Formats: sequence, structure tokens, C-alpha cells
Amino acid sequence: MSQYIIRRLLQMIPTLIGISIIVFAISQLVPGDYITATQNPNLTAERIAQLRALYGLDLPPVQQYFVWAKNMLVGDLGQSLQHQMPVTEVINTYVWNSFIIAFFSFIFSWIIAAFVGVFSAQFQYSFFDKVVTLLVFLLMSLPSFFIGLLAIKYFALDMKLLPTGGMTTAGLNATGWAYIKDVGLHMFMPVVVMTTLSVGGLTRYFRTGMLEVIRQDYIRTARAKGLKERTVIFKHAFRNALLPAITLLGFELPGLFGGAMILERVFNWPGIGQIYLASLNLRDYPLMLGFTMFLAVLTLLGNLISDVLYGVADPRIRLK
Amino acid sequence: MKKRLSLMLVTLLAFGSILAACGGEETASTDNTPSTETTTPDTSGEAAEETGEAGTDSESAIGLTEAEDVTTGNETALARTDSAIIGTVAPQGIFNPLFHQTSYDFYVDYLIFPSLTKVKTDGTYENDLADDIKISDDNKTYTFHIRDDANYSDGTPVKASDYLFTMKLYMDASYDGQSDPLSWNVVGADEYNKGTATDISGVKVIDDKTVEVTVSDYDAMTQVNLGGIAPLSEAYYGANYKQGEIASVKEFNTKPMGAGPYKLTKYAAGQEVDFEANENYYDGAPKIPKLIYKVTTDTTNLAMLQNGESDLDNITVTEDNVEELKAAGFLDVNILKNNGYGYVAMNNKNPMFADVKVRQALTYGLNRAEVVEAAYGPYAEVINIPQSDVSWAYTSDNIDPYDYDIEKAKSLLDEAGWVEGSDGIREKDGKKFEVNFSATADNPVVDALIPIMTQNYEELGVKLVVETLDFNAIMEKKDRGDYDMFFAAWGLTPDPDSTVYITDGAQNNSGYSNPKVDELYKKGKKELDIEKRKAIYAEAYQLINADAPEILMYQRTNMLGINGRLDGWDISPYKDFPLSLHQVEIAQ
Repeated sequence: MSQYIIRRLLQMIPTLIGISIIVFAISQLVPGDYITATQNPNLTAERIAQLRALYGLDLPPVQQYFVWAKNMLVGDLGQSLQHQMPVTEVINTYVWNSFIIAFFSFIFSWIIAAFVGVFSAQFQYSFFDKVVTLLVFLLMSLPSFFIGLLAIKYFALDMKLLPTGGMTTAGLNATGWAYIKDVGLHMFMPVVVMTTLSVGGLTRYFRTGMLEVIRQDYIRTARAKGLKERTVIFKHAFRNALLPAITLLGFELPGLFGGAMILERVFNWPGIGQIYLASLNLRDYPLMLGFTMFLAVLTLLGNLISDVLYGVADPRIRLK
Repeated sequence: MKKRLSLMLVTLLAFGSILAACGGEETASTDNTPSTETTTPDTSGEAAEETGEAGTDSESAIGLTEAEDVTTGNETALARTDSAIIGTVAPQGIFNPLFHQTSYDFYVDYLIFPSLTKVKTDGTYENDLADDIKISDDNKTYTFHIRDDANYSDGTPVKASDYLFTMKLYMDASYDGQSDPLSWNVVGADEYNKGTATDISGVKVIDDKTVEVTVSDYDAMTQVNLGGIAPLSEAYYGANYKQGEIASVKEFNTKPMGAGPYKLTKYAAGQEVDFEANENYYDGAPKIPKLIYKVTTDTTNLAMLQNGESDLDNITVTEDNVEELKAAGFLDVNILKNNGYGYVAMNNKNPMFADVKVRQALTYGLNRAEVVEAAYGPYAEVINIPQSDVSWAYTSDNIDPYDYDIEKAKSLLDEAGWVEGSDGIREKDGKKFEVNFSATADNPVVDALIPIMTQNYEELGVKLVVETLDFNAIMEKKDRGDYDMFFAAWGLTPDPDSTVYITDGAQNNSGYSNPKVDELYKKGKKELDIEKRKAIYAEAYQLINADAPEILMYQRTNMLGINGRLDGWDISPYKDFPLSLHQVEIAQ
């Protein structure tokens, strides 16, 4: 097993090099740089040349790539032009804010999807199944900014139950439990909306997985033995139905850290998604490239983890 | 049976969601009805009068509307007796006047870092941290005396050596901020920049509070540039600074310390910035003990002002928003002219636009008033010179207003040799008059401009071909000179000096060149007497107005909603609200 993991990790190296070349090439092909994007009306031509030299934008692209790649090897993703601080620091400042809402909505959507998926599979074509299917498609088709704004209007502005946005109450300076409670109140709406949006698709996966398993011979055997329906479903069927979901689990890893661009804007959540979007618009290439590479590493790791977990969970699969 | 039931459910639910959507829209549209009702009954015959009326309305639409009754419905805000909450777009956490880039970081820095001089409401400057400025007869030596009672928030005095230290940071080879310090012509700056000298010979510390700066060449901007420096404490910022390595100074970006009215107590990236009054402030401790900048979004900032969650915010200027703010009753609504203008650039180097008559015809032939009305309603005005009408350099003497006049435009094009071809499109030397317009997506002005322009120019015999591009792509085309027309906007500084219209100027987007204008701009920059400068810039603007190098469109407005419980503001388009925050008090 450990041999397998080491081999996979080594395989990641050429993949990452490939990704870095492609990402960098795309950034070079996109028109404009930080100076054209910010359009500062007070810059003279001389100062523009000086700044390009200071930012390293005056070097030929190939050389720029090697400077960037070399710095990355020692863990230096460069300086964000927009934030005037190291990219790693920018990511560290904002990514955890995104992580907490992504994490909670991940937990909730998986729990809800698992139960709902199993029940609607167990009672396929029942009234419950149909309502669920309908709801699932309804939720999947809702645009996030729309229900986000709707939620703010009803729950924050009209009913005044929840804060309108942000992560903490301005000027509260709470610590300990009071702080956790404050953040909890603020994250309620974004987490609910995010969960609502992702639970739909997941439910379908669980339902399909369960439907496949439930028709297997060993389930019939278990029922024939006279086992309780609950035991049959949760002990025999559910575990096997979970197997395909492990693959999905791996893909969730970059999602946990990637930030939600639209929802973060709607709820004014200080997450990395907004920052990433701004770095694209302002051509803050060090930040944009740095974060893209960060996500690439997470995606590859997520793949590896799901493969390993699959091997652990399913004895039929042997990793070599 | 089962099937029918589920079908019913589907229709019911679908119907339900449609109803819900209608409900949402209805609440929004009720606010609209009064305004649409007044415009719909008008028939086409009265349309001209309509726009005329809108023009006179706009005079009153801009300016300050005071709150009527501060107490009613304002309980949440009134409960904050020792603090004020200011809504803002997220600053980027660069709280250092050398490096900040966005206005939102400026908002923070204004409160922490006072400079030697500060801008007044009319765009000229007055003393702030300096109480005496002496200028030698040759205008090359500037002696600043820093106020004796000026101390940093840590209690140490602001010293002349701090000014020298700050100057060194600006001149450092690794300085990558947005200022252009080498253009200030300070004697010895180049040597320091190149590392051949360890001191700037042109900056002399005379005593603890007096510093003398010598420049090799002066212009109207010299005093503004030198006085605009906010001294940073050398003891605080300079601990690890070495010539050529400015990175250690940036580490203090989120932990600023200055001599201003407030000191920063907490910065939560993307969320809020908290301040406490600086008891040591030389103009007396500010009247609001605690200040919070809270990050808001344009979807909720209006609602937060209405229910008292914030005391001040920038709100997008639309008729609906203005109505809503005024309806609250306890809010001051301050609509200010924006320091900037929008324009349609024409490629003057393209033979098609090289003829001044063609450029004039395209300006006469476009109904700019209609475009501006469509994009901003009464909250923007058509402009004819590239200067804000609140600037001291503004003039309307001998300025052609280029009122929409299709006949004049047609005859100008005829004179220029562009005659109508068989298909209604003008031609000259076998070339069709076809203009390529590079448009950015999702811009309210472009959305209003394109249909009107297409129609107006079609009548003129000019075919407009529109392509939608990313802003950066348009800028790249501009740099290559490979474009016909695009829409963009410029920001204006308080001083009229600019490089937009001088030959090969760094900001000259349209390739315009007029030696007379170049000369006037040069003269205006060199002249120090404001009355003489007024005359010089007036002449330059008259020339630009006649040459029509680009189609000048509009000057728009910005709107501040301020809770009426806060009094004592001194705000103008040039003087941002943070500059008077230290004198604002909470009405009891």
C-alpha cells in the first residue's frame, strides 16, 4: 500500500509540471497585465516601465515561467500585486473563512443526501420518492445568487432573524463562545443555501447507488433469512451503496478550499472565492496562478485519497 | 391514479414557484410605478420637451438633501452613542500611504496618516501637519515646519528626520507603489535610487521639526507632491529597513501607526476595520471615540443604512435609491459630482478620424443627452471639456456644446468628402464609412450608448459594427493602435495637469496631437499662479473642444447616505468624507 502511495505521489510531479505550464501559458495568452487592468491615470510611461521591471513583467515569458517555477519549489508563490503581501499569506488569510462554510455545508449535504437517497431508493416510485425527486430537481435548478438574495430579503431584512451578511457583528469584538455563536449566526444562511444547492445532485448519486445494491442477490438472501428491514438496509445494503460515493468524496477536497465566488459575494463572506475572482479581473497573476496551483495540488491529492480509501473499503480492489 | 397525483403536484409546485417569483418582483416594481406613470402618457411630440425638462431637473437633483427628522425610526443607530459604523467596499489591507492602491485603503489611511498639506473642498491645498511652508524665490527650495504639537499615536513626536526617512522609502529602487517619486525632481533622488549615495542630498534636516527640500526643477505639482508626503515614524517602520530592500516596511501594512486622528485597533480582512480616537491628535481628540469600517455589498448597503445598521455608505445613484434614502427621513443624502468623465475614444491616427470635420460630425451626430439620460437619468450631465465643472480650471467660455444636430453633422461629413453611396452608407475614395466599436460587456453606459449610436449614425450614413471584448483586450488593441472606437472613463485629480491630450502622453488613448495644446499644458504645469493657470487651461480646453479628439460623454455623480445623527461634515468631490471625520460629532 505504501509503495502504491509513493508511486502515485511521484506520478503527481510530472502532472503538476504539466498543469503549471498550461496555466502559465494561458495567463500569458490573456490580454493585459496588472498595470493595464488597474488603469491608474497618474502613471507616467517611465513609471510604468519601472513597475513592470519591479513586478518582473518585462522578462520574456519563458524566463518568467522559470522564475515562477523555481520560487514555487521553495514554497514561495510570489507577492500578490493587489495585496502587497506574499500570496501564501493572502491565501492563508481568506481560505479558512471559505473552509468553515464549505465544511459545514459538506457535512450537512452528505448526511441529508445519504438518508434521503436511501429512503427514496427503498421506496422507489412511492409518493415520497416522487416528491423528493421533484424537490431535488427544483433545488438543483435554482441559481445561487437568486435564493441567496431571497433569503437575505426574508430572513435578514424583513424578519430580522439573521444578520444581512459578513462573518461577525461589526464592533462586537467577542471572544470564546460568544464569538463562535456570532459566527454561527452569520454562517447560517450561506451554509443553508450552499447545502440546498449541493444536496440535490448528491441525493441522486445515493439513490442510484442504493437502487443498484438493493436488487443484488445477497439482499434478497438477507431478507429471506428474515432479517429486519432496517438491518437489511443499513447493515447490508447501505455500506455497499456507499462505495461509489467514495470517489465523490475525493473530488470534494478542492471544493472545501476553493471558495464559492458567487455566494461569498452575495453574503459578503470574506472568503477566498471573491479574492480569486478579483485577482482574475485585475490580472494579479501571482495570486491567480498561486491559488490555481494550490487547487491543482488539492485535486490530485483528493484523487489519490479516494483511490486509497476505495482500496481500504472494498476488498475486491487491490492496489498495487 | 398515482401518476395523476404526481402530475398535479408538479403543476402545483411549479405554479407555486412562479407565484413566489411574482411576489418578489411586485415589491420591487411598486417603487417604480410613480416614475413610469409620469413618462408613459407623453406622446412623441412632447418628447423633446421632456428631455429639456429633465435637463433643468438635474440641477436640483445633485447636491445635499438634509435629513428631516433624525429620531423617528432611527433607534438602532441612535443606540450607538460612542461609535459610528461606516459601510465600505473591502480594503485590501495595505494601510500605508506609500503602497495603497484602492480608495478603500485610502479611507483608512486618511484617518491614520496626515500629510504636510491636505486638499480643501475646492481642490486647492492647505497646511495640515506642517504649520509653515517657505518657498525660495527660485521656487526650488521648500522649507517645511512640522507642527510642534504633532505626535504619533504612540506618543513620540513627528520629526523632520521621519520626513527624510519617508522620502528615502519613496526613492528606494525596490519601491513598487503607485506613486512616481523620481518625477518630483528631488536633488539626489536618482543617486539614492541607484545606490550610489546613502542619503538624499536634496532633503536636509535643519532641526527636529524643520526640513528643507531642494528640487532640480519645479512645476505646479512640486508643492503638492512634496506636501502630500505623510511622514512615517522611522523608529517604528525603519527598524529593519536597508537601502534597496523595502519589503520589511511592508510587513507593517496591516499594523499601521501614524499621527492621525484615529489609531487602528483591529483589522479583520474582508470584514471590518476598527479605530479608536487618538488622544494625542494635534487638532484635538476626535469627537467620535470609536469608529468601525464595515465591509458591505451593494445588494444590502442601502437596507443597512435604512435600518440603522450603518451610519454612512456609498450608494449607487439611481432614482429608486435616491427615493428610498430620502423616504427614510433620518438620512442625509449627499449627491456629489464624480471626479472623472466618460468618453468615446476615436483613433485619431486612423485616416478615417484624422480629419477634424469627421470627428466633429460624429460628435454632433450623436444624441449624447439621450444616452446620458438613459444610463444615469438626471444624475449625470453631458460634458464638453475634459474637466469636472467643480474644478477651478473649469470653463464654459467659448465652448461649443455640440448639441445634437444631425443636419450639421451631415454637412460636415459632406465637406470632409464622405458622400452617401447607393446603399446609404457614406464613402470616400471607394472606402465605406464603417466604424468598429469595441464594447465592454455589462457596462450601463455601453448598454445605453450602442442602440442610440447605431441608430444616430445610420441616419448619418455611418455604419457601426459592434464587437464585445474584455476591457483588457480593448486596452491591448488600443496600445497597438488597432481600433476605431471604444468607450472608457477617466478619473480626475484635483490638479488639471494631465497627459491625456499631449502628444504621445502616457494616457493619450486616442493618439491626439496638437502642438498648441502640448505647449499650453506645459505652460500650465510650470505656472504657479492659479489665476494665470486658469487662463492657460481655459485656452487648452477651448482647443480640445474645437478639435473633438474624442466624443466626451458625461460626468456622473456619487451618492453618500449619511445618518442625520452625525453632524459637522465637510465633504466635496475633492475632499472625501474621512478627511472631516475627526470633526464630526454625534448629535444627542
